[in-house]
Amino acid sequence: MQDEQHSAFAFHGSWREYAPIAFTNLLLTIVTLGIYRFWATTRTRRYLWAQTRFIDDRLEWTGTGKELFVGFLLVLLLFGIPFIFLQFGAQALVFQGYPGVAAALGFVAFLAIFYLTGIARYRALRYRLSRTFWHGIRGGSDNQGWGFGLSYMWKTFVSYLTLGLLIPWSMMSLWNQRWRAMSFGPFAFAADGSARVTFKRFLLFYLAPILFLLMGIAVASVTGAAMGGVFVQSSLPPVLQIVVFFVIVLGVYVLLGMIALAYYSAFIREAISKLTLEDLSFTFEAGTDEWLKLIFGDIALVVGTLGIGAIFLSYRHWAFFIRHMEATGEIDLNRLTQSTTRTPGQGEGLLDAFDVGAI
Amino acid sequence: MEEGTPDIRPWHYDGRNACRWHPRIAIADDSFRLIGEDWESGPYLWADLIALDGTGGRSIYGLKDESGWRLGFDGPPPSDFAAHLPKPARYGGWIDGVGLTRAVAAFAVVAAAVIYIGVEAPGWIAPLVPRSWEEKLGEAMVGDFGGRFCRTPQGVKALDTLIAKMDPDADARAIEIANVPMVNAVALPGGRIILFDGLIQAAASGDEVAGVLGHELGHVRHRDTMAGLMRQLGLSVVLGGFSGDVGGYVNGLLSLSYGRDAEARADVASIATMKAANISPADTAQFFARMSKGEPEAGRMAQAMTWLSSHPLSTKRRALFAGSAVKGHRYAPALSPSEWQALRTMCKSDPTVKSGWGWQR
Repeated sequence: MQDEQHSAFAFHGSWREYAPIAFTNLLLTIVTLGIYRFWATTRTRRYLWAQTRFIDDRLEWTGTGKELFVGFLLVLLLFGIPFIFLQFGAQALVFQGYPGVAAALGFVAFLAIFYLTGIARYRALRYRLSRTFWHGIRGGSDNQGWGFGLSYMWKTFVSYLTLGLLIPWSMMSLWNQRWRAMSFGPFAFAADGSARVTFKRFLLFYLAPILFLLMGIAVASVTGAAMGGVFVQSSLPPVLQIVVFFVIVLGVYVLLGMIALAYYSAFIREAISKLTLEDLSFTFEAGTDEWLKLIFGDIALVVGTLGIGAIFLSYRHWAFFIRHMEATGEIDLNRLTQSTTRTPGQGEGLLDAFDVGAI
Repeated sequence: MEEGTPDIRPWHYDGRNACRWHPRIAIADDSFRLIGEDWESGPYLWADLIALDGTGGRSIYGLKDESGWRLGFDGPPPSDFAAHLPKPARYGGWIDGVGLTRAVAAFAVVAAAVIYIGVEAPGWIAPLVPRSWEEKLGEAMVGDFGGRFCRTPQGVKALDTLIAKMDPDADARAIEIANVPMVNAVALPGGRIILFDGLIQAAASGDEVAGVLGHELGHVRHRDTMAGLMRQLGLSVVLGGFSGDVGGYVNGLLSLSYGRDAEARADVASIATMKAANISPADTAQFFARMSKGEPEAGRMAQAMTWLSSHPLSTKRRALFAGSAVKGHRYAPALSPSEWQALRTMCKSDPTVKSGWGWQR
């Protein structure tokens, strides 16, 4: 447990209290063929926000299920239907003997989705801030995110162009760009995360192939296989061979996941520690081992309950996030006036449609 | 209370700045006012109050059209205030009104109906689509198949002979052989049937081709293609499977499957047509048997046998064709040896036809 007296952030929820919300959400989502999920998300957030204390008062989530639903419908209308026509149009073009045109259309569709994914990431943050109240004051942004969509495209493209070496740079600069456009009350956020700090961890990914090669040799020597003309013979009994094989394959995935977590924990630590709001600065204190505990806990929870435990994941992630958040500095309540940013009319429709929702 | 000392007075945010006030409430019949040390606000209508989620025993109220305006009590509201208050929303909207159990039951009934209609509706709607629309759709989708239709005078004559026997009423608008080395045959919207050259090469006689053609004609007569297309469209809406994969589009259409009932009906139709045309269904059964064994002569095409993947060869199907052949009856071959030869060599001897899948990956 964190020392609540000294932490600016505290989470007061309990999973027993959350369970009735989670189970009725699941039930209603099933019988409405998924449509209730927008209202379910809202109920979950209302609970999580209300159980989160910042300094002297709770947060409040004021988003509604209807907004999320309308956002989803808008996306369906604006993008879903044209894409279906595009799909059948492409089919027809291929049959008519214009595969080039079909491929070009497909490429245009790909670009459009790429661009919209960037905008969706931006808008999700804006929406969440605009619906989060503290002391009756909310956040938001007047920037619509069209420019961020372009940045997202070229920065992501460049980072892949360099065999992924620039991914830490693109992630951090996009994070900074996104947060700099956001505000809470009258104050703008400042974000100055540096990619350099996270780069060393990221390089572990490039070490991985070498480890995989070693593991490959291990697999071959256990199960027996021809490698480059040399046949490696194994003397282990077949059952044990299979067991060892699975352990090694599993090991590859676990290792990759651990590298990703090590990098991500460094990324989040750096990004949040360089985030400030007027005289407030934030830190996030979760190390790789805590992230590992979170993720393995998630896996154990979901597997152990045959999947039903998944309804508690958003609770776990929020609690994890808040318990490791810390803020220092001062807020002048008199100067923290209401945000004048335009509130977006609908929710995270784009993000929802492209399935890129994060914490 | 972890947020400080307990407070019996209400707390209040005006939504303009973050200061926390502790006003007194002056209650009137239809409204109330808030009175602070050196300020006063209101009147606020009771009807404009919105009950929000109170946690930790707190009661919190917002005001319609006043973003951030909050009035809260650290416990339940005092009784003279509570008498005027709305109840907080729980599950959202009218679910709170009818209760969770009844709402779940109602949703479940509606959901079952939606799923049933989703599966069955294409079958009801498809026959209502005007033929002319379907023909336009087929024309737009297929056109001249990128110049891949094989045509030689002898081959076309042989194909026409087969069509005259199998489709005397001309239910299909166009039946063509495409220069594609794939063991496949498809019925497309607008009564178009395309037999792929791979299938012609894999068949040992005109009778075998007649059986497959009869099956696709069955789909055309029952208008299964339109229903299948609608189902595919519906599925892509539901599953949201947008991808830029050109190969995926082609495969999606080529493997249009119409469901087990429609396939069985198409088989029955094929046998009936063959019987009327005095063509033996026994060869078709043999064709199925050969294909399912994946004989070496099918060879490299085995991987491209889309028709077989969307038309699984059960023993039952083969038996249906084999069993409907009348023993001792004198059937006429679907095509004469020379006609069969012309059909088989049509794609090779057509000098202008384009070949293969230009777009295959």
